[in-house]
Amino acid sequence: MIAVENSEQVHNMVVCTLCSCYPWPVLGLPPVWYKSAPYRARAVLDPRRVLAEFGVYLPPEIEIKVWDSTAEVRYLVVPRRPEGSEGMEEEALAKLVTRDSMIGVGLALTPQEVERGA
Amino acid sequence: MNGPHDLGGQHGLGPIGREVGEPVFHAEWERRAFALTLAMGARGDWNLDMSRHARENRHPVDYLSSSYYELWLKGLEALMIEEGLVTEEEIAAACRGEKPPAHDMGGAVTPEKLIASLEKGDSTRLPDQVPARFQVGQRVRTRNLNPQGHTRLPRYARGRDGIVERNHGVFVFPDSNARREGTKPQHLYSVSFNARELWGEDHASRDHVMIDLFEDYLLPGEAAHG
Repeated sequence: MIAVENSEQVHNMVVCTLCSCYPWPVLGLPPVWYKSAPYRARAVLDPRRVLAEFGVYLPPEIEIKVWDSTAEVRYLVVPRRPEGSEGMEEEALAKLVTRDSMIGVGLALTPQEVERGA
Repeated sequence: MNGPHDLGGQHGLGPIGREVGEPVFHAEWERRAFALTLAMGARGDWNLDMSRHARENRHPVDYLSSSYYELWLKGLEALMIEEGLVTEEEIAAACRGEKPPAHDMGGAVTPEKLIASLEKGDSTRLPDQVPARFQVGQRVRTRNLNPQGHTRLPRYARGRDGIVERNHGVFVFPDSNARREGTKPQHLYSVSFNARELWGEDHASRDHVMIDLFEDYLLPGEAAHG
C-alpha cells in the first residue's frame, strides 16, 4: 500500500477504472459510488468536475494527480493538514481525517467543522 | 478484452450518486454473495485474475445494468460452471425452489481460515529476481494492445506516452494468469501521463493520471511529453 501526500502544489485522488480496487484493510469495503460506472468513467477524464460534485473546488494552479489502481498496489491519500490544527495531538488530528479525504475526493475537516459536527 | 468494465473516459453515465448512511450491504443476499465469492476463491479452484475476468466478461448491456454484487454472483456462477462444480440446470432448479442434490466438493473453507487469510491480505508480489527494463524517470510508450482475454491496460491509455514514476517490484502478470498460462513474473511500474496526452489539448496541462502498468504493456518512449 502506498500513501500519497497532498501538498500546496499537488492534490491526489484514487480510482479503479477497471473494477473496484480499494485499500480494504485500512478503509473497509468501498462505498457504492466508488464502484459505480460514473465515478470510474469520470475520475480520470474530468477530475476537477468530479471533485466539485463532492464540494471540493481546487484552484487551477494546483496539479491533480489521479491514481488509477489497475494492479494490486493500493493507494491512500494523506490529506493536507488544515489551518487551525497547529499544536493538535494525534487523536484530535485523526478526527479531521475523513474516509473521503483518504480517497482524495474530500479535504481534511477543519477543527471548527469537527466542533460543529460534534 | 475491450469490455464494458473498461470505463475510464466514458461519457453519458450521469452524476455520481451518493447515498445517505452508505449501508455496506443493501440486502441479505449481497452479504451472502460477497462471502460466498471470497470463500469459494479461497478454495483455490481459480485465481484472482480469473475471477476478475469472470465478472467483466459479460455482454455490455448485462454488465452495465447489473449491480455490483449481481456481477459478483454472476461471475461466481460462471466460474463454478466452468470448473464443473455446479451445472446450469442445478442453478436453475435451485432458483425454482427445488432442493439441489448434495455435492461434496471437498476442500471446504472454514470461517476461521477465511478470516485469517483476509487479515493476512493477498499479495501478488513475487520474489523472483527479474531485471527491470525501464528506469524511474524514463519515457515510455504503452503498446496498442487489444487482447480478447483479460488485461489491466485500460483502453484510454493505449499507445500513449508517459514517464515511469515508480517501480513497484516484481508481480504476477494478470493477462497470462487469467488464462492459466503462468504468472510470467515482471516489473510493475506507476507511469505518469499528462492529461493532454490522454484527453487532448483542452485539458489542464498540469494534471496527470498515474497508472500501474506491467512491463509487457510498455515500450521505450521517444516523443517528448511532460
